[in-house]
Formats: sequence, structure tokens, C-alpha cells
Amino acid sequence: MEYIAGVDIGNSSTEVALVRNDDGYEFVATSLFRTTGLKGTVKNVPGVVNALERAAEKVEISVDDIDRILLNEAAPVIGDVAMETITETVITESTMIGHDPSTPGGAGLGTGTVVDITADCDTITDETSVIVVVPSAVDFADAAAIINEWLESGTDIQGAIVQKDDAVLINNRIDREIPIVDEVSKIEEVPRGQPAAVEVASKGSGQTIDQLSNPYGLATLFDLSAEETQKIIPVSRALVGNKSAVVIKTPAGDVEERTIPAGSVTVISQHGNSVSIDIDRGADEIMAQVEDLWPIADIQGERGSNIGGMLSRAREQMGEVTGQELSEINIRDIMAVDTLVPQAVEGSVASEHSMETAVGLAAMVKTSELPMQQIADEVENRLGTTVHIQGIEANMAVLGSLTTPGTDVPFAILDMGGGSTDAAYINPDNEISSIHLAGAGDMVTMLIASELGLDDWELAEGLKKHPVAKVETLFSIRHEDGTVTFLDEAVDSETFGRIVLLRDDDDMEPVSIDESVEKVRRTRRQAKERVFVANAKRALRQTSPTESVRYHSFVVMVGRSALDFEIPEMISDALAEYGIVCGRGNIRSTTGPRNAVATGLCLSYVGDQTSLDGTVPDGLAKSVGVAELASDTHP
Amino acid sequence: MSQATQRERTVTLEDAGPAEKGTAPDEVIIALSPGFGEISTETLSGVSHAEILRETMAGIEEEGASMRVVRVYDTVDLGRMGLVSSNLSGSGISIAIQSRGTTLIHQEDLLQLDNLELFPQGPLLVPETFRAIGRNAARYAKGESPAPVTVENDPMTRPKFQAMAAIWHIKETQCLDEERGQIELDIDFS
Repeated sequence: MEYIAGVDIGNSSTEVALVRNDDGYEFVATSLFRTTGLKGTVKNVPGVVNALERAAEKVEISVDDIDRILLNEAAPVIGDVAMETITETVITESTMIGHDPSTPGGAGLGTGTVVDITADCDTITDETSVIVVVPSAVDFADAAAIINEWLESGTDIQGAIVQKDDAVLINNRIDREIPIVDEVSKIEEVPRGQPAAVEVASKGSGQTIDQLSNPYGLATLFDLSAEETQKIIPVSRALVGNKSAVVIKTPAGDVEERTIPAGSVTVISQHGNSVSIDIDRGADEIMAQVEDLWPIADIQGERGSNIGGMLSRAREQMGEVTGQELSEINIRDIMAVDTLVPQAVEGSVASEHSMETAVGLAAMVKTSELPMQQIADEVENRLGTTVHIQGIEANMAVLGSLTTPGTDVPFAILDMGGGSTDAAYINPDNEISSIHLAGAGDMVTMLIASELGLDDWELAEGLKKHPVAKVETLFSIRHEDGTVTFLDEAVDSETFGRIVLLRDDDDMEPVSIDESVEKVRRTRRQAKERVFVANAKRALRQTSPTESVRYHSFVVMVGRSALDFEIPEMISDALAEYGIVCGRGNIRSTTGPRNAVATGLCLSYVGDQTSLDGTVPDGLAKSVGVAELASDTHP
Repeated sequence: MSQATQRERTVTLEDAGPAEKGTAPDEVIIALSPGFGEISTETLSGVSHAEILRETMAGIEEEGASMRVVRVYDTVDLGRMGLVSSNLSGSGISIAIQSRGTTLIHQEDLLQLDNLELFPQGPLLVPETFRAIGRNAARYAKGESPAPVTVENDPMTRPKFQAMAAIWHIKETQCLDEERGQIELDIDFS
């Protein structure tokens, strides 16, 4: 009896397919283990050995009983991601903007001169109307008593700015309804004696403020000239959608939205043309240029910018792996996506955040080869088994995918992983072409993390992979789509009232984010749409001889991201427009979109002598992998 | 009074008859132990009972929820106090506070020893913590997802206060009056 193992070393997981030759070949086991170290380095060996052990265990043999191990020639590509913020909101002096505490008090709009509540009442009688400032040292009941006292003595109090979370408490204890904004942490920086306006939207109406978010409203309140009105546009823009806000007019105060110099990338095409694009022109511009200059020879980032840093980091990493000169390593693709990131406003007095424009970038580094032979030698040393580098990753993936029922040549595969989106097309003459594109699972994670303002990469990964729900009572949860599920057993008390990740094993993991379920869902789907759907179209266009997505008629999705609960549907849906049959692969009718390359490796070695039905023509199986085996004595 | 001053407040807790099950869906119950304000007017670490009660109530009021304060006469066990009081609450959410400062937030469907948030180290709780506890309880009542209140953790609290806590517990137990059950309180700060 003979055992042959196909081993696929991927970016994140190492997969094994095990074939037994017992008067005919037969697939007997598959296994999966995390890839150890960076793909294509000797550090992968422990992961390979572990995956082999797992497969051997399933058929109750020892690893030593495996007679031949087939490795893939891994595509020499690495993906990396970075985020570049291109706008920032800066408050100079102390003009305060866009503060939106969760519980403002009162309602309406008030304007007046800013006065400290600890001031002597008699000194302010000459002011027609005032806005009081309540620092944290003053208790809410005392503050309310003072406000009532002032109102009684004839001072026209129009609104209040409070340091602690006391707005509702003060409002409940005073005789007149005035707008009160609280949680202004740096209240000492609110300039006293300046004109200010406070607005709180009425609670029951569900509306947002309308006067301070309108530039002409501000102009009316502060009596601004046309020129001044133009300058306060960032203020009103920052206040749109708020339930409460304060604006203080300072003599020299200014709020501005600046564009940060974000660096540029230079794209060099294989025909020798090159174009330099500023990142702050946005993702659409960058992608249009990349498309124009395709195929790309190299991409360089400006020194000292984030993008420059990311590109040289990726280059260095690849250089370390292959031992090649940095000049020989090229960046072959870049993907840019426009996004919004919450950033703390510089110079703010109430720790306001503003949604700033940013560009998310993914890059694809390619080198001429990876040191696969070293890995093969090392595995051979460890296990004492013959190890062959059997074939190129993309070809093996096509071969493996062909075992999906309902497929036939010609067709295309989309291999969506963590670091890159790969595509391969096999034409009616059995010739295979393949490409590697930047941008995949990791980029989606980055977009989710930045748009939701998460620091925790693990949490963002979780939000990418699993749907969320809200635990409304201990016995019911509301899903993303609004439906409610009643549970037989009570949920854990720590999940009560929280947003939870619904993991595959029915486990609910509470996540601490202050966003609605709808917002999480929208962010997640948008990120996937902008990365995977965009890349699927890009990949299919590049692999077709006519540079048109429509050229393809069958597409099979494989790889880790094809296991996602919504990505395959989103891509199928988008490609249906072009009349393409697109679905998740089912390798050997059993393993789903997994194990395509490992299966392909085995098939290319044994040809069609397996117990599988004849979906893979013998000639094809041999032809795509047999080159390296010329001197080999296999059957 | 034009100059604001921080002054010491006191509270009077007046019995207002047996507590009934509430019907308001936004209601949070604050349950006090039998000896709260009686065996002492401060917690173990010297924070005034009036202050923590006022801050807890302020936290609830700031969120726009309503509240009732009850004294639980039939148990001194914090978990039991939580369960009993949450069953009186219109929203099913209650806060239980012992004389020594130990506090929890409970929901009516939870088991007695389970709870939404537990603050086991009473001596580490300050008035700001109680404001946050009140706010979180009100947000649970409103169906929101508050982040749990963060508190300090000091492993020395136990050796430092354990003996005193035991004595206080005995004193609190002496205030038990099972016949009276749960009594609603009128609260007045001065």
C-alpha cells in the first residue's frame, strides 16, 4: 500500500490531502493546520509536519508510512495593509464644536455671553443675556439653585454648559427650560465673556439641531459677514446630525479642515510609463491609474509617508524571506479604498471626534521565486520521506477546483485568502493564466477596525467573520435583520443588553462597542463589498483575453474567504449581472471550498487513476504538473 | 448664595409602607440593606451613605429613567437583595447596596447568585462609581448596551477590611425583620 500526501502552504493555513494507492488511488483524509511563520520560509516546516500528522492520524497510520509528499510552488507574493488619513479638523483658539453628549438637558436655542456660575450675580447685571458655565466643583443641586436665584433676580439665562454629566439633573431642578450641554471635559478652556450659542434638539421629536448646523443660522446668531460665514462652514458641517451643540465666537478663533499631505505613489507600468498620484486624490483616482497602467512593473511610495513606509516594509519582509536584493523585489499591485475614520479633534475642549477622510491601502509584493526547495529539503530531513515540488499554486488550484461537480474547462477560479485575491483562468486548450491582486480578508478587517474606531484587531476579525445580534432579554435576541429568536435557555448574564457575535458553535461573545447592530452590519458589508466584489471584477477582467468580465461564464470561488457567511453571496450576486455562473467550490464533492491546491497536487501526480469520477481529464492532470517530474519514476 | 460650596449632605429615610411591584417600564429599584443609614451613616471606607444614595439616584435621573428606593428587611444577603428587589422593579432592573458599600446590579430573570454587574470590593467604591452604577442600571432599563462600570481592584482590601466587614454583617443581621418584608422609602436630602 502506498500513501501520497499533497501539502498546500497558504498564507494562513497549511492543508493536506492524503491519497492511498491500494489497487487504484483513493482520497482518504484531509487536514488543516495553521501556517507557522511567513509563507514560503523554512519556518513553515513545523506546520507542515503537524498537518501531515493530523491527516495520518485520521487513517490510523504513522507519518513515516507516507511514501511521498508533494509540495506546491507557492506563489511568491505577500500582501500588506496600511491606512492613511488625509484630512484633519483642527480647532485653533477655543471655538468649540460638535459636542454630542448622550444626555443633554432641556431643549431649544439660547444665545448670550459666557459667564461662570461662581461669578457674583451683581457684576453681570449689565449683560442682556447669559450662558452659564458650570464646572465640576459645583454640585448639580447647587447649580440649579443658583440658576433659579439668578432668574428670579432678573438675569436672562439662555443656556448652560456643564462639565459633569449633570444636564438632565439641572434641567429637572430649574424653573425655566433652557438648553443645557454637559460632559464638556475641558471646561476651563471655554472662554468667559464671549458670545456663545447653545442648542439642544427637543427630545420627543427624534430630530437633530437645525440652527447651529446651518451656516446661515450661525451667521444670524452671531451677526456674521459673508466672508466670516464662509469661514465657519467647517463648524456647521461638524454639527450636522448632532442632538446638541455649543458654538462660541472667539475673536481669533477658527476651525479649519486641513488636508494632510499624505504622500504619493508612483506607478510604473511594464511598458515603461509611470505616473505619480497623490494619495489625497482618493481611492478612485488611484485605482483608475492602476487600471490604466496594467500590467504593473513596480509601485513606489513617497519616502516618509505611511504608504512609503508600508511598501518598503513589505519589500524588506520579502527580501528577508528570499535573500534577494530589495531592488529585485517589486510591488505588482495596489488596492485603495476610501473610508472614514473617527479621529480626535485637535484642540477640542470636550474630546470631540470628527469623521475624517482616509484611504485604506493594500499592496502585493512579488519576487521571482520563494526558497521552496529549502522547505522541501527540511521536510525530507525531518520525516525521511521523498518530497517533491509538484507544481505551481494557481495551476494546482484549478486542477483541484475541477473536481467540483458541475464544472468544466474553460472556467475561472477566484481564490480569496487573507492577504491576496488570486485568480486563474483555464482556456479550452488547457492553458492556465493566473494573477495575484492586493486586497483580501486582512484589508476588510482593517476597514472594519478603522470605521468603527476599534483598536482591537481580534475584535475586528470577529466582526468580519460572524454576524452580530443584540441580546434584548435573557431569553431573546434580535438579529441583524430585525427578527427575534427566543431561546430555551437563558443567555449568560454578561451578554445581557449587549451586542454579541454569533459564533458557529452557538456561542455568544459579547463585544464592547457603542454602535447599533445596523451600523455594524452596514460597515461590515460595505468593507466586504469594496474589497472582495471590487477585486473579483478586477481579477476576472485581467484574466480574460478580452479584458472584459463578461468573457467568463463559469467562476468557482475557493480559499478561506469563500467560507465566509456572506462574501460568496455578495460576489455571486454582483457577477450575476454579467450572466456569470459563480458559486462556492465543492472540492471532491466533499471539502467545500477548502483543499483545492492539496487535491490538485495529488491529482497532478496520480492522474485520473483515482476513484473520483472522470471530471479531470488524465492528459490535463499530468500536463499541468508533470514538468518537474521528468526524471521521476512514478506510475 | 453666589458662591458654590461643597457641603456635607444628610439623608432621611422615611418608611412609606410595603413596596408593591412596579409597573413603569423605565423604573429602576434601589434596594438598601436593613442597616443602611442605621448601623452607620458611612460605608466601610468612610463614604457617606447620603452621598452614595444621592449619586446613584442622580445617575438614574440623568438618564431620564424613574426610580423607587426600598429597604429590604428580610435578607442581608446581597444576591438575595438583588433578586427580591428586581422582582419589584417595573423594568426588572435593580441596584442593591449594603451598608458597607458592596453593590450589584440585578435583572429579574437572573438567578440569585448571577447578576449584571457586581462590585464586590465595597471599600473601593467612591461617589463617582455610584453615579456610574446608577447610569448603567438606567441604561439597562432602557434596553441599551452600557459598557460595564470600571472599578479599582486592590487585593489588600480583603485583609484590611475583612474583620470589620464580618462585624458589620452581624450588626446588619440584627436589623433583620422578616415580617416587614420590603418597605418603600421616602427620601429627603438636606
